[in-house]
Amino acid sequence: MSEVKTVENMVSITIDGTEYKAKEGEYILNAARANDIFVPAICYLTRCSPTLACRICLVEADGKQVYSCNTKVKEGMEVTIDTPNILEERRAIMEVYDVNHPLQCGVCDKSGECELQNYTLELGVDSQSYMIPDTKREVANWSSVLHYDPGLCIVCERCTTVCKDMIGDAAITTTKRGGADLDKAYKETMPKDAYSMWNKLQKSVIAPSNGTDETNCSDCGECVAVCPVGALVSRDFVYQSNAWDLKRVPAVAAHSSDGAQIYYEVKPTSIEDRTEKIFRITNEWSYVSLDGSARFAYDFQNTTATKDKAAFDAAIEAFKKAETVRFNAMITNEEAAMLQTLKEKMGLKLYNLEVRAFQKFLNHYEAASGNALWSTDTDAIMKKSDFVISIGAALRNDSPAMKYAFNNVQKMNKGAGLYFHPVGDTLIPTFGKNVEIFNHKVGLEEAALYLVLDLFADKEKLPSEVKDYIESFKTTETKTIKEKVEKTVKEMVLNEETGEEEEVSKKVKEMVEKEITVSTNGLIDLLGGDASKFDDVFAKMMKKKENFSMMLGEDLYYHDKAENIAKLVALVEATCPINVVMTPPKSNALGVALICELDDAPSGYTVGYNENGDFKLSALGTGDLDMPAMNQQEGTLCNIGKRLLPTNAAVEYNGYELNDLMKVLVGAPELTIDWTATLPKERGFKGIEFDALTNSFDNDGTDNRGYVLETSNVETELPEVEKCDENAVLEGDIAYRCNPARQFNDFTDKSHEIFEAFALYASVEKAESLGDKVEVVFENGSITLDVVADAKMTGDIVKVPDYRAAEGVYDLFGESRYKTVTLRKA
Amino acid sequence: MSLEQFKNRNVGVQNYTTLDVGVSPTTNKAKFVQFITRAVKGELFVGLWVTGKAMFKALFQGDMHTVKYPFEKMPISPRYRAIHDMLRLLESGSYRCIGCGLCEKICISNCISMDTRYDENQRKEVSEYTINFGRCIFCGYCAEVCPELAIVHGPRYENASEQRAGFSLFEDMLTPIDKLNLQQEYDGFGAISPNADENIKQTPLAY
Amino acid sequence: MGETVVDLLPEVTWVGVLIKAVLILAIISALAGFGTFIERKVLAFMQRRLGPMHVGPYGLLQIAADGIKLFTKEDIIPQNANKFIFKIAPVITAATAFIALSAVPVFPDFTIPEFIPVLGGVFVPSIASDLNIGILFVLGMMAAGLYGPLLAGMSQANKWGIIGAARTAVQFLSYEVVTGLSILAPIMLVGSLSFVDFNNYQHDEGVWMMFYQPVAFVLFLIAGFAETNRTPFDLLEHEAEVVSGYATEYSGMRWGMFFIGEYANMITISVIASIVFMGGYNPETMLFGFSIGWLLIMLKIAFFFFLMLWVRASWPHIRPDQLMWLCWKVLMPLALINILITALVVMV
Repeated sequence: MSEVKTVENMVSITIDGTEYKAKEGEYILNAARANDIFVPAICYLTRCSPTLACRICLVEADGKQVYSCNTKVKEGMEVTIDTPNILEERRAIMEVYDVNHPLQCGVCDKSGECELQNYTLELGVDSQSYMIPDTKREVANWSSVLHYDPGLCIVCERCTTVCKDMIGDAAITTTKRGGADLDKAYKETMPKDAYSMWNKLQKSVIAPSNGTDETNCSDCGECVAVCPVGALVSRDFVYQSNAWDLKRVPAVAAHSSDGAQIYYEVKPTSIEDRTEKIFRITNEWSYVSLDGSARFAYDFQNTTATKDKAAFDAAIEAFKKAETVRFNAMITNEEAAMLQTLKEKMGLKLYNLEVRAFQKFLNHYEAASGNALWSTDTDAIMKKSDFVISIGAALRNDSPAMKYAFNNVQKMNKGAGLYFHPVGDTLIPTFGKNVEIFNHKVGLEEAALYLVLDLFADKEKLPSEVKDYIESFKTTETKTIKEKVEKTVKEMVLNEETGEEEEVSKKVKEMVEKEITVSTNGLIDLLGGDASKFDDVFAKMMKKKENFSMMLGEDLYYHDKAENIAKLVALVEATCPINVVMTPPKSNALGVALICELDDAPSGYTVGYNENGDFKLSALGTGDLDMPAMNQQEGTLCNIGKRLLPTNAAVEYNGYELNDLMKVLVGAPELTIDWTATLPKERGFKGIEFDALTNSFDNDGTDNRGYVLETSNVETELPEVEKCDENAVLEGDIAYRCNPARQFNDFTDKSHEIFEAFALYASVEKAESLGDKVEVVFENGSITLDVVADAKMTGDIVKVPDYRAAEGVYDLFGESRYKTVTLRKA
Repeated sequence: MSLEQFKNRNVGVQNYTTLDVGVSPTTNKAKFVQFITRAVKGELFVGLWVTGKAMFKALFQGDMHTVKYPFEKMPISPRYRAIHDMLRLLESGSYRCIGCGLCEKICISNCISMDTRYDENQRKEVSEYTINFGRCIFCGYCAEVCPELAIVHGPRYENASEQRAGFSLFEDMLTPIDKLNLQQEYDGFGAISPNADENIKQTPLAY
Repeated sequence: MGETVVDLLPEVTWVGVLIKAVLILAIISALAGFGTFIERKVLAFMQRRLGPMHVGPYGLLQIAADGIKLFTKEDIIPQNANKFIFKIAPVITAATAFIALSAVPVFPDFTIPEFIPVLGGVFVPSIASDLNIGILFVLGMMAAGLYGPLLAGMSQANKWGIIGAARTAVQFLSYEVVTGLSILAPIMLVGSLSFVDFNNYQHDEGVWMMFYQPVAFVLFLIAGFAETNRTPFDLLEHEAEVVSGYATEYSGMRWGMFFIGEYANMITISVIASIVFMGGYNPETMLFGFSIGWLLIMLKIAFFFFLMLWVRASWPHIRPDQLMWLCWKVLMPLALINILITALVVMV
């Protein structure tokens, strides 16, 4: 384990005459924001790199005008936010932004939440000095969810920045729009920054970066969230409602295990129908980024539910008859606690395929490491880490938070990354140039961990047999190679966009011959890498790196040798300066794993909760008794950040809840949320009442939502690990249980803005060879699926989604995520 | 007046003006004289003369003040705030309403409700619009806040109904397209002031 | 006294008197109703309004509408009222008013044409009962009318009613004195209490009594307003002070009877004033060969009726203490002085 820096180096700076503390290396703008001081800024996004598009964050630091979004604080720095000259610049910039901006604020979906409007008023723009002919710009729909009105766009590039730096899709970019040239006279008469900003603004517009009219992205909608004006809106929300009419219900995104903060924004459906409907999802985009399921899968509520007494009585009978309750991760902690109570009092078996493997893995991990939970979280990785390793996670599909963290580390922390996964993904390499990908064979996750041990472990700490085992892979030889040497040449270039003269360094390459000794690491070859080049690459990756972290995915939990992997992870933590984060497979898998004692196999009469069963409780409205969906109930969820998070009911629910059944079966408190304080303290819960849970962020991004679960740390000996079985790899056609990016469960499937099909996903070549429809034959059954080509996949492994509980995909895969299957054209 | 001033104000001293009502007689003689004077003065007949003249004028000179209300109506001020009208653009006949929702927001009795949608011409369109006249207090805020002078108060004040809630739809209040030429520009709350031009700053639009 | 016209008329039979009584009852009731209509109209005109307009032409059928309303309205008797007296009180008012009219000449004498069966040829006199103490009887009956409001106010168990009743007693009794004393002077001149004699006296003298006895005329008028409970002396049921005074608890036709009584009294006072002070009817007054005496008395009566309305439209009402002050300190002394002077003149 690495040393966690508890006290960061603080410096003192003076802003407008008052002294403040700021973190070393932070930008002036962020330091000011953390201290509750307002500095105007449009284009800057807290967790992304400075864009320098708007230029209104100009401040005076130590007598020089600087952009506060890209100038780091220094000890004793004197900052003045407003000087007459800066105010003049800012006003000119805002006037320029207002040139030709349509005066249709009345119908704009931003409806008063507009930053252009705010800053125009803030800077007192009451007259316009500039003019230029307007260009016709056509409204475009970029994808099934994105609507772009370039007429309203001020090209602040927040959308492109967040897409590149946070989401990692880099699906949109600025392009030329063919606007008229500025009158040259302006160059002399207007403030310099305003002129260069305008020069750029007049020429650019945002468009999909792949050159087509459609973005090929994960449809997360984060660009919509960050848009300061009404240019980017979700297609479903265009002209539907004014922002002020919507009531915000703070909640937690229900589908992935990110547990991202969201607001359900509700108002009555229409004039005739006064029941409340969720119109959109918003988030605190400065502090949290949503994935597509969190933003667009919101209308999954159970609308048909009524208090059906007959069904209720039948449910009571079913529970009395039942031996097993089958459920999944889409359940609150409180309901999980209820089911655990049923297990204790009625002897019911709890069967949960989504969580069981994860729970076992956690138990092994705890036994091996002495830690109940992993040591870091994705938020901390984004803030501090500069080297990330991902093992066993299909980053693009499994855990958006891990994907964003992996990408953000590359972009923001000048980081590097190692990505171990059997399924090739073309998106990962685009995250950064220091990302190294290992598309290893299925079953070699242990080898990956051994490689991590080899690369990072303090060899002194390693047990000798492990050390010997790692060394056994290594060979040494001498080679003559040609090497490229780069020389840097500086020259002055006129920047077309801004019209400024800039100094640009160009790199010129030369070839030099060299003779070197190369040690070859067999592990790298085993994992499908190029051992001959890896050392150099790795040396480059390791430059100036201080904070390492490792992200573990669902593949490991469903591994045949999960116990050994858990021990290896514990070993990595014990011997390497690496922090670990694990992604709970879905939704509230962590909560279920901590609260419920799950059983390995069902037996007898089964009650299914959102799952198949002899009697079905369902929040989807399809079961024998209706249950509230996640957006209809209060409760808590546990997420990847090891937090217990409160979520609230956004829409009304008229049926029975699980707690009502509990009252009859074994007795229960009045409300579901009365269970919150009773969650098991020995598993890290704090016994805080639901209503006492906080739900906010601080100005500097500190997360105050709910509380962090307490993790017990017991000193343990280093675990004894087994060797990696190199021959235990799967061959032939392999199916990988993996959902498309925005699908997680039946509820995302039900939501009308989620379009990803329940189909077999394969790389383009594989899809062509498979045809339109295919029968996937497992040992214990088969499933027939349409074939969808995923342009970002490579390799032969096909993905079979599991998000429809009724399809029983979990049963087909059993306790592993990869299966050798026969693919038959159907 | 601040609260402090209000509390400390001197209630006892006010600028009342005393009416000169003369002096009441005290002696019997004076009282008698006053009585005789008043009795002979004929003030009573002045009263009769006034009412008689009024009657004569009313009957024979057409000076009758009664307005036979349901059959005759008084002209009302353009500022009068009665049932709303939805105006059209005079040139095109299109709705003036852009669906901005400000009237809905500002309505202090919460009686305006609207639904909007994205129409085929990529514009915002009001798909449903109602005012509950059972709740409306005719304060005029909606007309005042309307940026397009689309919702205004009309002269239709006879809105008694059998039920307390009375909903009016957009179409009910809209100027009929064939009566567009009769549409009156509204002069009341929210209308453009006569000197509006003086308050506008010029913006360069020379290209 | 010379021969009067009346002496020349045919014999008065009981059938004729009965017909006359029915006629008075019917016509005066109708006139009372019509009086309300006229009152509303005149008051409206004086305030430049139109008055009732919607029921019938110029609102004429408003009378019928009001009648229907009064007859069909629920008759409410308060729980704690003395029910018998409560019920009887309006009847007293109405009855005394009509009984008073029996000694007053209303409408000319006529004989029912022969062609009408049964009643054909019956002579109907102008006065139902030509008592030789006519004036005394009329004033007496009107004074007895005091019992109506008095009993009504006392029986209804209502504080406003009690106040109304008290005011009734004070006002009616006080002004009865003035009425009596003021009319005593003309009686002294004429030497008779019969209306016919008054009529004839003025006819013979050729001068209206009001010019012989101006003080008596004015006093009688003032007292008449008070006796009939008209503005400015409408203290009995002044809304602003005592809700509706003695009539507070009355509704429907019982209230209607007070109403009819009040208007009948107004007509009676008008008739007395016309006959005693303004020359009465003179059948020998001719115009284009027609006797217009009856037409003239109608006009005179109408004038007095109109005067009451006119006064109501113009003048404010007075306080009870002012009312008493006026009665006992001004009007009664004046009346006594007037009698004294008249007596001296008659003696000399």
